[in-house]
Amino acid sequence: MSTGRSAGRGGGSWQAGGSSRAGGGSRAGGGGRARLHGPLWRAIAVFRVAALAYVAVLIAGNAGEYAHPVVAWLALATMAGWTAYTWWAFRDRARRGWPMLLADLAVTAGIELSTPWVVGAAALADGAPTLAVAWLAGPVLTWAVAGGRRRGLVAALILGAVEVTVRGGPNQPTVTGVMLMVLAAVAVGHVTRLTVEAEGRLQRAVELEAATRERERLARDIHDSVLQVLALVQRRGARLDGEAGELARLAGEQEAALRALITTGAGPAPGADDGAPADLRAALSAYAGAAVSVAAPADPVPLPAPVARELGLAVGAALDNATRHGGPGVRAWVLVEDEPAAVTVTVRDDGPGSPDGRLTEAAAQGRLGVAQSIRGRVADVGGTVTISSVPGEGTEVELRVPRG
Amino acid sequence: MHVEDSAPIRVMVVDDHPMWREGVARDLAEAGYAVVATSGEGRQAVRLAPAARPDVVVLDLQLPDVSGVEVIHALVAALPAVRVLMLSASGEQQDVLDAVKAGATGYLLKSAGPADFLAAVGRTAAGEPVFTPGLAGLLLGEYRRLAAAPPAPDSTAPRLTDRETEVLRLVAKGLSYKQIAARLGVSHRTVQNHVQNTLNKLQLHNRVELTRYAIEQGLDG
Repeated sequence: MSTGRSAGRGGGSWQAGGSSRAGGGSRAGGGGRARLHGPLWRAIAVFRVAALAYVAVLIAGNAGEYAHPVVAWLALATMAGWTAYTWWAFRDRARRGWPMLLADLAVTAGIELSTPWVVGAAALADGAPTLAVAWLAGPVLTWAVAGGRRRGLVAALILGAVEVTVRGGPNQPTVTGVMLMVLAAVAVGHVTRLTVEAEGRLQRAVELEAATRERERLARDIHDSVLQVLALVQRRGARLDGEAGELARLAGEQEAALRALITTGAGPAPGADDGAPADLRAALSAYAGAAVSVAAPADPVPLPAPVARELGLAVGAALDNATRHGGPGVRAWVLVEDEPAAVTVTVRDDGPGSPDGRLTEAAAQGRLGVAQSIRGRVADVGGTVTISSVPGEGTEVELRVPRG
Repeated sequence: MHVEDSAPIRVMVVDDHPMWREGVARDLAEAGYAVVATSGEGRQAVRLAPAARPDVVVLDLQLPDVSGVEVIHALVAALPAVRVLMLSASGEQQDVLDAVKAGATGYLLKSAGPADFLAAVGRTAAGEPVFTPGLAGLLLGEYRRLAAAPPAPDSTAPRLTDRETEVLRLVAKGLSYKQIAARLGVSHRTVQNHVQNTLNKLQLHNRVELTRYAIEQGLDG
């Protein structure tokens, strides 16, 4: 066994590791992945050093009884070199692949397999510790962190077989040692999986935050440029006839649609927690456009989320009804009033309304379906609906939900 | 239009979008207004105003350097008689309400047509408030917020009369002054006065608050 050469190589690498530390550190701080995963790898490195110290103490105390004490010290030097080298190597995610994992397992198994020759069969039978002792568990932990429970288990069983071979067959302390390695592999693998999942969640949260920021930036940009130009096109073209006038009208519609889009950004996402209060204004701002004005207080109008949702849908039904019965040119106004006792939403349109009694009745029949859908939704959340139609002044639907 | 009567109405246009600024200035000039100054920045507008002496300032609420509210404060301080008609490209929000409290008497969305815009400038010059339904909704909300504010220690908080509330609600529901007058059985002028009052009370309250705040700061310092 060429322990001297190995130790020399390990020492050289340790210096290289020292010089690349700053680079590795800044990399570790960069990604969300390394933020959570890094501590596990550092913990393994610390474990290896602690185990190495234990090995050193045992060799110092027992070397006198070994068959080849000098080789035992060389083995210790090899372990020290390998400990230093793995400390450096596993810092970088790029070096945590199969080559390093297999080399780690091979070096550790090799040290352990040299035990019968170095220590001697007599001393071993006398109960002397193996060369690697606790240091043997290093690869098991490494494999578990690198690949989860299953891979950790494989490493534990391989090294367990090595341990049993060295001891010349299974006995009580050996089996206990192997069992401890297996349990460590499973526990560390499990923790690693939890860490990976937590990293995934953190990553998604970071991405969501970035997307939100991007959306806000887009909203500002659209506001500063596109909205202004569209409004200008609409304005300059409004006096022109034919196609140009049509273009101006289209620009106006797009302006209103974009404006609604960037102002609704503040609303809660669909499927948001039903227990949290929702701002009714967010549920209604989507309806605002060239033909629909939405008037509301400057402050949020908090309602239980299901109530806000149902009111929003009821308003949508009322607006649909207005355009369906009033024709394409009809305009509508939505007013949100927030009072201590109740929240009132009024939807008024400037459609034909009902010229006389007979038509009122007919219109009422025609609108029965809509009226019932509105009434149903509002009644479900404990509110009331008043529908009034003044001839020539369109239809007014008042939705009132008491604050409970 | 009444602008032909005597001296033309002096208008200043403040908007950071050059195409929009030029377009608005051209429309105003064609309609017989005197465009005495244009500016793309709030601070510059405040510096120019005393020399340009506009009757009406057409002000974009979203300016690159200072907020529209700050510009209105400075303009009103420098020219107490000036009328401010504000425009914004996005919908009615807190900044519109703040601008009204600071002293703006008119508000229009930028998407309003040229005819609506010119009419709004004329009405602003004549001292009439120019409301969108959205602004009426904001004012209603603000009065209710002031009324509901926790233990109202100050009786100076403005209140609307029932009739004023009714008028604001009808404006917010999109009715014209003429329709409101017909529905309430009052004159067009009376409706206008009610709307004017809702604005005046809030602006007065705001000035009182600012003064009180200034005195408190002065006493503390």
